[in-house]
Amino acid sequence: MSDDTETRRAAAQAERLLTAWKTPTGWRYWSAVNNSEVGLWYTTVAFAFFFFAGILGLLIRAQLAVPGNDFLDADTYNQVFTLHGTVMMFLFAVPIFEAFSIMILPEMLGARDLPFPRLSAYGFWSFLIGGVFVCGSILFDAAPKGGWFMYPPLTTEYQDGVGVDIWLLGLSFIEVASIAAAVELIVGILKCRPPGMRINLMPLYAWYLLVVAAMILFAFPPLITGDLLFEMQRAFDWPFFDPDRGGDPLLWQHLFWIFGHPEVYIIFLPAIALVATMVPVFARRPIVGYSWIVLAAVGTGFISFGLWVHHMYTTGLPGLTLGFFSAASVAVAIPTGIQIFCFVATALAGRVIASTPMLYVSGALAIFVIGGLTGVMVALAPFDFQVHDTYFIVAHVHYVLVGGVVFPVTGAFYYFYPLAGGKTLSDRLGRIAFWLMFSGFNIAFLPMHLTGLRGMPRRVFTYEGGVGFDVLNLVSSIGAFILAAGFAVFLWDVLRPKGRQPYSPRNPWNAGTLEWLGEMPDKPWGVRSIPVIESRNPLWDQPNLVRDVDAGRFYLPDAEELKRETLVTSILDAEPIQCLRVPGPTFLTMGAAAGTGGVFIFSTYHWWWLAGLSGVLALGMVLTWLWTGTALIPEKPAKDVGLGTTLPLYKSGPQSVGWWAMFITMMGDMTAFAGLVFGYYFYWTIHEDFPPDPAAGPGVAWPLTALGLFLAAWLLTVLARRWNAGGRRQSFFAALGLACLLTVAGTAALATGPAVTGLDPTAHVYPATVWVLVLWVGIHAAVGVVMLLYCIARGFAGKLTPQWDIDIHVVTLFWHFLAVTVLVTVATLAGFPLVA
Amino acid sequence: MPALPIPFLTHGRRLTAAAGVLALAACDGPQSTLTPAGVGAERIADLWWWMFGGAVVIWVVVIGLAVYATRFGTGRHDVRRARLLIIGAGAVFPTVVLTALLIWGLRLMPVLRPPTGDAAVRVEVEGLRWWWRVTYVTPDGRRIPLANEIRLPVGQMAAFTLTSPDVIHSFWIPSLGGKMDMIPGRVTELALEPTRTGVFRGACAEYCGTSHALMQFGVEVLEPAAFDDWLATQAAPAEAPASPEAARGRELFLAFGCGACHAVRGTPADGTIGPDLTHVGGRLTLGAGILPNDPAAFARWIGDTHEVKPDAEMPPFGMLPAADLRALALYLDGLT
Amino acid sequence: MADPQRLDLPHDARDPPPRARDSLWILPLAPTVWALHFLASYVTGAVWCAKVAGYGGPLGDARVLVGIYTAVALAIIALVGMAGWRRHSYGDATAPHDFATAADRHRFLGFATVLLAALSFVATLLVALPAVFTGSCR
Repeated sequence: MSDDTETRRAAAQAERLLTAWKTPTGWRYWSAVNNSEVGLWYTTVAFAFFFFAGILGLLIRAQLAVPGNDFLDADTYNQVFTLHGTVMMFLFAVPIFEAFSIMILPEMLGARDLPFPRLSAYGFWSFLIGGVFVCGSILFDAAPKGGWFMYPPLTTEYQDGVGVDIWLLGLSFIEVASIAAAVELIVGILKCRPPGMRINLMPLYAWYLLVVAAMILFAFPPLITGDLLFEMQRAFDWPFFDPDRGGDPLLWQHLFWIFGHPEVYIIFLPAIALVATMVPVFARRPIVGYSWIVLAAVGTGFISFGLWVHHMYTTGLPGLTLGFFSAASVAVAIPTGIQIFCFVATALAGRVIASTPMLYVSGALAIFVIGGLTGVMVALAPFDFQVHDTYFIVAHVHYVLVGGVVFPVTGAFYYFYPLAGGKTLSDRLGRIAFWLMFSGFNIAFLPMHLTGLRGMPRRVFTYEGGVGFDVLNLVSSIGAFILAAGFAVFLWDVLRPKGRQPYSPRNPWNAGTLEWLGEMPDKPWGVRSIPVIESRNPLWDQPNLVRDVDAGRFYLPDAEELKRETLVTSILDAEPIQCLRVPGPTFLTMGAAAGTGGVFIFSTYHWWWLAGLSGVLALGMVLTWLWTGTALIPEKPAKDVGLGTTLPLYKSGPQSVGWWAMFITMMGDMTAFAGLVFGYYFYWTIHEDFPPDPAAGPGVAWPLTALGLFLAAWLLTVLARRWNAGGRRQSFFAALGLACLLTVAGTAALATGPAVTGLDPTAHVYPATVWVLVLWVGIHAAVGVVMLLYCIARGFAGKLTPQWDIDIHVVTLFWHFLAVTVLVTVATLAGFPLVA
Repeated sequence: MPALPIPFLTHGRRLTAAAGVLALAACDGPQSTLTPAGVGAERIADLWWWMFGGAVVIWVVVIGLAVYATRFGTGRHDVRRARLLIIGAGAVFPTVVLTALLIWGLRLMPVLRPPTGDAAVRVEVEGLRWWWRVTYVTPDGRRIPLANEIRLPVGQMAAFTLTSPDVIHSFWIPSLGGKMDMIPGRVTELALEPTRTGVFRGACAEYCGTSHALMQFGVEVLEPAAFDDWLATQAAPAEAPASPEAARGRELFLAFGCGACHAVRGTPADGTIGPDLTHVGGRLTLGAGILPNDPAAFARWIGDTHEVKPDAEMPPFGMLPAADLRALALYLDGLT
Repeated sequence: MADPQRLDLPHDARDPPPRARDSLWILPLAPTVWALHFLASYVTGAVWCAKVAGYGGPLGDARVLVGIYTAVALAIIALVGMAGWRRHSYGDATAPHDFATAADRHRFLGFATVLLAALSFVATLLVALPAVFTGSCR
C-alpha cells in the first residue's frame, strides 16, 4: 500500500467517524447527548446558579452591613439566606463536579463517551428544570425559608406556603440527577478505561471520582427517604416529625445530616481531584504519593459517614454518642492532611512553574488549611457547644467550601477552558480576578470567626449595635463586595468575545494525561483512535503517542457502520472485552426529564391529576428510550476493533454495563430503604412502648402471605431467565405473566394487613411507619411489574431471545433486591412487634 | 459593670449610652465567649486559646513549606525526602496532635455536663416563638413564673430544664457556657455555674422562623444575697399602680383583655399564653431582649408590635389613642 | 518530566500476573471494618442510654462491649493489612508501583490496602477512646 492510499484510507475513516459523532445542528442541537455538549451545558448552568446564589449572598451582606438595617425585611431575608445555601450546595457545588466530570472524564480515559450518554442528558435536563423551579420561587415571594437544612417542626407545621414543598420536591428531583451521575461515573471509570490503563495507572481524578460516586450512592438516598417522610407529613399529615403523635423532629436531623456531612466531602473531593490533576502538571513531575492519595480519597469517603452527629452536638444526645462522632470527626483530618502534604511533596520534588491555575491552587491551599484547622476545633464537642450556630461556623464552612471547592474549581476553569472551545482565558485578568477574590474573601470571612466568638448567632436578619458586632460586620460586607468584583472580572474573562484570539496550541500546559490528546478545537469524536496506555502520564512517557493516535494506529479508528462506539475494558487490568455501541442524539431524554419534573412540580401544588399525567408521560418516554436505545441486537456478534483484535458487540449478564448500572442504582435504593427501616427502629429507641399496642399492628398472617407471594414471583423471574437461556420460550412467558399476577396479589396482601386492623397513618407515628414501608414496597412492586411486562413485550417483539438476553438479566437483578426489600419489610412489620 | 444590655431598634437618647459601652467593650461584648463568666465558658475559652495558638503555628508552617517548595526548594530535594514529608507531616504529626486534642475534649465533657442533682438553682425555660417562658422552681417546690430574663447567684450551679412547645430553639448564654437546644417532644438539660457577677446577654441560637434574630434575653449574675432578694420580689404579687395615670393603665389593661394572654399576679389577669408581666417593669429588657425597659418602649411594643417583631403572636394595639397607650405603658413600667 | 527510571522494568515484568487472588474489593475492606465498628459502638451506646440506663445513667457493660468490638475490629484490620503487605512485597519492585504490569498492579493494590488498614487501625482506636473517658450517659 502506498502512502497515498494510506492517507486516503485514513481520511475516509476520519470522515465516517465524524459522521457517526456529528453534533446535531440547528434546533436539534439541543437533542445532543454527547459528553462534550452535555458537560458544557451542565457547567454553564451550574455557574449560572452560582452567580445567582452569589448575588443572594451579597444581599445578605448588604443587610448585615450595619446594625438594625431595614434593607431586607425579616421574611425576605430568611428566603434569601435559605436559597443562598440551598442553591450553592445543591445547584452549584454538587452539579459542578458532575458537569466537569461528564466533560473531562471520558477524555481523560481516552473514551469516546461515557457508557450511558442519554442518562447524563436526562440528569442535566432534570437539573435544569428543578434548579430553575427552585430559584424562580424567590421572584414570586414563595421561596423556602426554613434554612437549607429545613428542620421540622418549623417547616412542617409553622410555614404554610409552597416554599418548603418547592425545596423538598425540587431537590428530590435534583438528587435523582446526582444518582444518575453516580451510576454513569462508576461504570465509566471501572469499565471504560483505555486498554492498558490498569488500576494502578488510573489518573487520580478518576480515583477521586470513583470514591465520590460511591459516596453519592450511600449519602443521597437517606435524604430522599427524609424527603419522602417530610412530604408525607406536609401533604397527608402523617406525623413523622410531630411529637404530639409520637414523631420526633430529630429523625429528620439524622437523615438530613447522614446525607449532609458526606455531601461536604462529595463536593470537596472532586475539587481536590482537580488540584491533584493540576499540581503535577505545574510541578513538572508525576505526583509524589499516588498510593497515599488513593488512601486519602478512599479513607475520607468512609470516615465522612461517621461525622453526621457533629451537626447535632447541642441536641442533648448522650456524651458517649458525641464522643464517637467527635473521634471520627478528628480522624477524618488525617487523610485530609495527607493529601495536602502529597501536593507539597510533589512541589518540593518537582520544579514548579508559575501559572494562573497554580495561583488559584495556592490560594485554595492557604484558605482551605484555615477551614480544616477550624474544622478540627469544631469537631471537639465542648468547643462546638459555644460556636455551633454562630458566625464562627459561617466562617468555617466558607473557608472549607471556598478554599476547598470554589478556588480549585475556578483554577480548573482556567486550566480546562481550552478543552471547551480551543481558546485560553487571559492570564492578566485571571490574576486580577484572583487577587480580588482572595483578598475579598479573607476580608469578608476572617473577621466572622471573631464575630461568632463574640456571640453572634447565624441566620439572624439583623443584630443590635454596640454589642461588639458592628465593625466586624461592616468589614465583612466590604470584603464580600470585593470578592464579588473578582468574580465579575472572571465572568468578563469568560464571556468576552474571543473571535480574533488564535486557538490554543495542543496540550497548552504540557500535561501528561489523555484529556489533552485532542486537537484545538476538539473534534466531536474525542480521540481519533483509542490508545494503549502504559503509564500514569502517557503524554509524558509514551513517545509518539499523539502522532500514532492521530494516525488512527490504535483501537476503533473507524466507524464502518456509522455507529457510535467505545471500548469496554476489564476492571483491574483494562483488557478490552467489548465494543460498546452508545446511543446518539434524542429528544426523549429532555421529554423524560420534563415529565419527571412535572410529577414533582405539580405535586408541589397538589395538582395530582397533572402530576399523574406527567408521570405517565415520563414513563412512556423512558420506556421508548429503553426500547429503542438499549440492549439492541447487533447485526453481527463481533467486530474488528483494530490492532488485530475482535471484540463482541453484545455482552449479557454481569458483563454488561446495563447490569452494572442496575446493581449500582439498587445499592442506592437499598440505602434509601435502610433509611426507612432506621426510622422504624429509631422510633423504637425513643419510645417506652413501640409499637404502642401490639394488637393493632399489621398482624402476622397477611404480611407472611405477601412474603410468600413475592418470593414466588421472584423465583419465577429467576426461572424465567433460565428457561429463556435454555430456549423454553413458552415457560418463559408463562413464568413472567404469573410473576406479574403474584406481585399484584402480594402487594394487595401486604396492604391488607394494616388495612384490616384499621391502622390510621395520621393517628400516630407507628401506623405511619408501617404504611410508609408498605408504600415503599408497593412502589417497587409497580416498577417490578413494569419491568416484567417490558421483558414479555421484548420477548414477543423478538428483541429478547435466548442469545440476546440483557433485559431479563437486568430485571432479575432488580428482583433480587426487591425480594430482600420485602423480606426485611415483613420481618420488621410482622416480626418485630413479636420480639418487642 | 456595663449598663447592659444595649437593646437595638432604639434611637436618640440611648445612642450615647451605646457609644459609651462600645468604647468599653472595644474588644469584646456582653455576649462574648471570650470574656467568660462561668465555669463552662472559662474551660472552653482556655481550649480555644490553645487551639488558636496551635492553629496559627500549623498554618504558618504548612504555608511556609508550600512557599518554600514552590519558590526556593526547586531541585534541592529528591523524592525520598518528599515522601518522608508526607509520612511525617501528613500522617504521624496530625495523628499525635489530634489524639491529644480528642482526649482533651473528652475529658472536658464531664466538666461541662456535671450531675445536676445538687444544683442550687433550678430553672425551667421554655422557648417559644419568639420569647422565653422562665420558671424558677425553689427547693420547696414553689414555681415562680417570669419571662425573658435569667438571674443567677454567683458561684452556685444552676440547672436548666429546657423544652419547647412549637419549634426548635436553642438556649445560649455565651458568657456562662455552651448552648443547648430546646426540642419539641424532648426535654434537655443544661448546667451553668457563674464565676463572677455582671450583666450579660443570652440569645436563641437555632433558627426558629421569622423573628429568630429578635429572640434574646438579659442575664444578670448577682451576689447570692442579692439573688435571694430578687427572687423573693419575683415571687410576690404585683405592686399597686403608683399614680392615677398608671391606675388608669391598669383599668385599660384589664378592659382590653390583655389578661387573656398575660398574667399580672394580684390582679384578675391570669392568662398564660404570653409572658407573665407581674414584674415586667423591673426586667433588664423588653420584648425578649430587643427594647430598653422604659415607658416609651412599652408604648412602642404595644402599638407597633409587628414592626418591632415581625410575625409575633401578640396582636398590635396601634389603634389605641395615644393617651391610652401612654397610660398602659406607665402602668406596665411601674410593675417592678 | 519523564521519569528516567521508566525503562528499568522490574525482573518480574513478564511474570504470570497474580490475578486470581486480586480484586478491587480488598481496598474498602479495612475501612468497612472501621465503619462496622463505629456503627456497632454508636448503636450500642445509643440503645444502652435510651433503653437501659437512661440519661445520666451509668454506662457499665456498654463500655465492655465497645472494648470487645474494638479488639475484634483491630484484629481483622491487622489481618487485612498483612494480606496487603504480602501483595505489596511481591517480587522485588518498590513503590510507587506505577509500571504497566500485572505484578505492579498487584503490588499497588497491596500497598494501598496497607495504607488503608493503617488509617482504619488508627481511626478505630480513636473511636474507642470515648468509651475510655466517658462513664455515664450524660
